[in-house]
Amino acid sequence: MSPQPAGPAAPVLEARGLVKRFGGVTALGGVGFRLHAGEVHAICGENGAGKSTLLKLLAGVHPRGSYQGELLVDGRPVAFRSTRDAERAGIAIVHQELALFDDMSVAENLFLADLPRRRLGRIDWEAVLQRARALLADVGIALDPSARVGDLGVGQRQLVEIARALARSPRVLVLDEPTAALARHEVDALLGLVRRLRDAGVACAYVSHKLDEVFAIADRITVLRDGVAQGTEAAGATDASQVIARMVGRPIQELYRRRRAARGAVRLRVRGLTVARAPGLPPLLHDVDLEVAAGEVLGIGGLMGAGRSELLLHLAGHFGRRLAGEVELDGQRLPGGDARAAARAGLAWVTEDRKRLGLVPGQGVAFNLTLASLARLRRGPLVDEVAELEAARRIVESLRIKAASLGAQVGSLSGGNQQKVVLGKALLTAPRVLLLDEPTRGIDVGAKLEVYQLVDRLAGAGCAIVMVSSELPELLGMADRIVMLGAGRVGGTFDRAEATPERLLGAAMRHAGVAA
Amino acid sequence: MRGRMTRELSMAVALLAIWGFFAWREPAFLSGRNLSLLSIELAITAILALGMFLVLLPGQIDLAAGSGVGLAGAVAAVLVYFHGMPAPVALALATAGAVAVWAGMGVLVAVERVPAFIITLGGLLVFRGLHWLVIDNQTVPIVEGGGTNAYALLTTGYLSPLAGWLLVAAACAAYTWSSLRRRARLLRHGFDADDAELAFLKPFVLTQGLALVALVANGFRGIPVALVILAAVAVLVHQLAAHTPFGRYLYATGGNEAAAAVSGVPVRATVIGAYASMGLVVALTGFMQTAYSGASTTTVGSLMELDAVAACVIGGTSLRGGRGTVPGVLFGALIMASLINGMTLMAVSPEAKYVARGLVLGLAVWLDLRIGGSRQGRGTAGVDGGEW
Repeated sequence: MSPQPAGPAAPVLEARGLVKRFGGVTALGGVGFRLHAGEVHAICGENGAGKSTLLKLLAGVHPRGSYQGELLVDGRPVAFRSTRDAERAGIAIVHQELALFDDMSVAENLFLADLPRRRLGRIDWEAVLQRARALLADVGIALDPSARVGDLGVGQRQLVEIARALARSPRVLVLDEPTAALARHEVDALLGLVRRLRDAGVACAYVSHKLDEVFAIADRITVLRDGVAQGTEAAGATDASQVIARMVGRPIQELYRRRRAARGAVRLRVRGLTVARAPGLPPLLHDVDLEVAAGEVLGIGGLMGAGRSELLLHLAGHFGRRLAGEVELDGQRLPGGDARAAARAGLAWVTEDRKRLGLVPGQGVAFNLTLASLARLRRGPLVDEVAELEAARRIVESLRIKAASLGAQVGSLSGGNQQKVVLGKALLTAPRVLLLDEPTRGIDVGAKLEVYQLVDRLAGAGCAIVMVSSELPELLGMADRIVMLGAGRVGGTFDRAEATPERLLGAAMRHAGVAA
Repeated sequence: MRGRMTRELSMAVALLAIWGFFAWREPAFLSGRNLSLLSIELAITAILALGMFLVLLPGQIDLAAGSGVGLAGAVAAVLVYFHGMPAPVALALATAGAVAVWAGMGVLVAVERVPAFIITLGGLLVFRGLHWLVIDNQTVPIVEGGGTNAYALLTTGYLSPLAGWLLVAAACAAYTWSSLRRRARLLRHGFDADDAELAFLKPFVLTQGLALVALVANGFRGIPVALVILAAVAVLVHQLAAHTPFGRYLYATGGNEAAAAVSGVPVRATVIGAYASMGLVVALTGFMQTAYSGASTTTVGSLMELDAVAACVIGGTSLRGGRGTVPGVLFGALIMASLINGMTLMAVSPEAKYVARGLVLGLAVWLDLRIGGSRQGRGTAGVDGGEW
């Protein structure tokens, strides 16, 4: 973090008329962009707007010659042949996808490319740990440098990723959706870190879907749509609704639309649920009570590590050992750890981690959509091709999944469309109870809106929905009732009318002191 | 899409080059007699490769296949020759044994989570030892001198010319009928299908190809029974992989095991099923390879697992699982079988043959990566799905 003299004139990094095509698809259609030292410059846009492509150009992932336009560092044209060139120019990128080595320590991950050596090329582990400790302290991240990265939560891993980028003392730091996996207090810590870096003269580009964060941190905002920059403005001179309007090309009246469905009979009833990761380990969930009725959306909030995802995973039969308590679906008892029984009873679960648990990326849209429903799509011993395609087409049309064909690889779809495929796979099983874990994580505003509409439609059709979310506005906007978890216990249950952000957060913290 | 075309084109060119080279250096390569032998060798290589394909799809491997081939053939030979058992009974017993053993290895891999590489490497050694023990390091004929039986007929049986033509006609008619019916059904429901030209061309080319096979084969002794067995196994494995839930589970397990598991795919049963199928294939290949040698000897089956893996990889099957097709595997097996047959015909020394086989395997994987086949959507299971 070598402080740069806050020069008045030349931007540290400038892009002029960048055009990048992939085959016949134009990802960037002439983008200009200036990044000054000591500013946080937010880049907003829906998925597929060209943000990632722009970042990859800046990072040297797409080498010179594969695009048109100019990149300038300190006013001088540069042509990166590789990511190494970009690094040498002082540009560090924190990617959305975590690229860490699970079996190595935090310190090793931080300095892997440049481990301090002793004589004979042996690694100086003392120095590695010291440097890691110094770096982590410097950037204000409270992590044990000798911890194994695979044991860290997703939020902590994100912090390691950022620390790794900072290890090279970059002049330009590009953050791609850095808070997608973070809980509230971690987001605050991260924003504080970015502010400190800015004040130290680092030029920060900040890509995020979360506009509240963007407005909390950015000095200037550039909006991309369909590969074209829609203009750059000072953050103080615009507001969220203007930015959204420019991102989607139309104004969005209201993100959360819920028609209140008549509350039907209780579908899912959980009583005194206590669950441990494995027998002999301390419970992660203690004495959890909740119920969801047909037509109802139950929101579940809480800080990271509160046990929200574990609760859903356990209900779906994929996680943990039930030490006590009962789960009933439409009066039928569900044993713990039996995913097939849960699925048969009409329960479907949508993961928060669509890359790891949601999709088979090399296979097509239809393959992924029908994977959980093949038993119902059979004709004799074979899968009925037409029935399968029709089922897939129905989902693709009703969820408006944008893909070149039903056979298009899901790995090539945008985040929002991938999320819709994961949702669609659950919907094809015709669930009576739907568990959604962070259903709008890392997807753009337009896709979020569609997910909300879908949730509303399903509830209206009599489905009982449990929705875990880290975003309070989402919980407040979508849920009929909200259960806040803290350290594996129910900290409070609220009707929508009585819920406020302050009360929800208070409930989430209620048991936080109990946590180990 | 472009990567895929390039890849298939380059493989076709490679095959033509191999055939051209051997035909030029050794004109007997294209003789009716050699082509007949080549078709039997192809059948043996390809059947084992199709089994390997089923194991590779869920991301596993079977290094014990070659040893298993030797052992299964030896057990059946001993039962027939020393115990006077009728050949069909002996074959059935050996098959049952192989399926049970391979399912057991599947359990160790899927349930006990021992890496398949280790389990099957152990199997390679164990089965090789048992093979030699069973035949007492001797040569055990598969049939009393001068006679024949169901065992021997696996590679010495030929269809009469008339039966050959009838079978070809029936196969072509069945394919044409089912593909046209499938196309009509897809179109009726508003899905994309092959355009009219392609819908005509596919059965047409198949008919021409099979007719050519029948013509050439009938010019020698007739269509080998082994080739008919291969055709049946190939159709079966294709249906299994591309059009049954089990096949989808194979691709899903190999493509993303964790996601498959939480989607309700019975991952363990799928892997065990793949190995059990492999047991069946190993037994069948064992009988054919042993019959082709005329007797069970200590070298039968040696290193065949590597030819099977090579055929799969040349044909675009991913060693990491989740990707591959039956036609690709058949093509890869044809390349491997042609190479080995041609080299044998040219009296290439065994040493040089090993070197060549190894180089081809390395080259195939390297080319696969270079041309980008691994990043393309090759070998997705089942429906390719149209535009709508």
